[in-house]
Amino acid sequence: MNSGLALLLHSIRRIRTLVLVMAWILAGFQILLILAASVIQESNGFGQLAGLLPDFMRQMLGPSLIALLSFSGIVCLGYFHIAVIGALIGLTVVLATEPAGEIETQFMDLVMAHSISRHWIITRTVLLILGCTAFVLAAMMLGTWFGLHWLAPKEAIQPTLRTARALICNLGVLLLCWGGVTLVMTSLARRRSVPGSAVGLLALASYLVDYLARVWKPARSVSWLSPFHYFNAIDFLTSGTLPPRDIWVLAGTAVCGCGLAYVLFARRDL
Amino acid sequence: MPNNRTATPAVALHGITKKYGRLVAVRNLHLEVIPGEIFGFLGLNGAGKTTTLRILLDLLRPTAGRAFVFGRDCQRQGLEVRAMVGYLPGELGLYGDMTGQELLDLLARLGRYTVQPEYRAELLQKLQLSRSDLGRKLREYSTGMKRKLGLVQAFQGDPTLLILDEPTEGLDPLMQESFYEVLFNVQQRGRTVFMSSHVLSEVERVCDRIALLRRGELILLSPVEEVRRMAARRVRVLFSQDVLSGPSRLPEGHEVLEVTPRSWSIRVHGALGSLVNTLSGLPVKDIEVYEPRLEEVLMKYYREDSL
Repeated sequence: MNSGLALLLHSIRRIRTLVLVMAWILAGFQILLILAASVIQESNGFGQLAGLLPDFMRQMLGPSLIALLSFSGIVCLGYFHIAVIGALIGLTVVLATEPAGEIETQFMDLVMAHSISRHWIITRTVLLILGCTAFVLAAMMLGTWFGLHWLAPKEAIQPTLRTARALICNLGVLLLCWGGVTLVMTSLARRRSVPGSAVGLLALASYLVDYLARVWKPARSVSWLSPFHYFNAIDFLTSGTLPPRDIWVLAGTAVCGCGLAYVLFARRDL
Repeated sequence: MPNNRTATPAVALHGITKKYGRLVAVRNLHLEVIPGEIFGFLGLNGAGKTTTLRILLDLLRPTAGRAFVFGRDCQRQGLEVRAMVGYLPGELGLYGDMTGQELLDLLARLGRYTVQPEYRAELLQKLQLSRSDLGRKLREYSTGMKRKLGLVQAFQGDPTLLILDEPTEGLDPLMQESFYEVLFNVQQRGRTVFMSSHVLSEVERVCDRIALLRRGELILLSPVEEVRRMAARRVRVLFSQDVLSGPSRLPEGHEVLEVTPRSWSIRVHGALGSLVNTLSGLPVKDIEVYEPRLEEVLMKYYREDSL
């Protein structure tokens, strides 16, 4: 068996429980949201909810209010809710910091003392991020499909497949972007907690910057630096178009991060 | 010692220097290990032994100099080098949720070598790791069992060169014996062993040559026999009656450490014959000879500016 494949299988075996639990929870969350949306829909509560909001909020939210306070909007919320994004970024960080963990525990010495190229450490991690992210997102979509198929009221306007696909795509590249950023830090670190906590703080800061930029103009000058700037689900739900620039920027960052990680890891001391 | 001096060295270090910022871990190290020999690499903690071993495996990149294993550059031809090497790290990084069997199988697959089941079984039997031991999670292993598993994984591919970092650390005396047996067995089959150790008795017993590092610098490179001759032994002479006069005329190379009416402690460089002659006529009850400990030998060299 190829040594890289052996390493990949070993890693999958190690993280399978975490990924499976995460997939179950997030798929369950989608179903839960659909249940909640169905209850509101059946009681004609969306109009009442909009009416409860003060005027200034309605003005501030504008058309996105309609997008959010609808059955379709609540269903889509499952793909951009902060808890979902936080959990998925957390999973990506766990996966991307595995090389640093292996260095920290000195398992890397045992691995790299064998006839295996260094690039396999990064390749394995990239494949792991791609595979696990795709698996969890697929589980979320499955949860949405299941919920819409079995729980949604007949009269509810469901999100189109195109909408769901675009949201998943944007969320997927956002996660890959954070995966790339984490990999760069991992390829410089000796301890797993260093890139883990650094990326965690960076993600929080960039989320806040992006959030702030929506309500405070001066913050807009730096918000373009935040990956969340390129994941604007509410705008997408309002306009129905996903700017290709967003996908390219996030995917480009992910690719650059992975490329840089290959170079840094190949040159470093283990 | 194997007579392979003309062959390509199993290990060749040419001016290896490794710096961590301002700290020099290894300084201009030149060394050759002859194929088929068991080579002991000695030094106090932090002397640079592990750093050197890890450079050979391309886990670390030297700041200067080049390292070769059987003529292949450890950094530029790392894959080929590591295909020939079995490595036991000083500290085994193991995942507690893996079983011993899973670890051995994984590392065999990573090494892309074919493990002969008979050979692995022989190693396991010699090091007393049973099938049920291998089926247990590594978190349940004792320190000694982990060490034994580490040894099996290093030896199981029957590599041409074995790089062992403190191989008997944590092994009980019986297991140490078994390990020496395995070591002699691989040497008989022409394999080379490059091992670091703190245990002089072990080095004396198994190694053909030793190198001594002090703060990253090579201060001694010599066959074990020669080192043994250089090292001073401590001799305690016990008398059956009080001997009131101390040792007035001791032969050259003898140094008095302690004198009491019933015993003398003497440090002896070289053979004991002349001391025995000196003691003739005295009421000697017993003579205890203490072989020098590694630390004593090391300290002697560390104190000296040059050799």
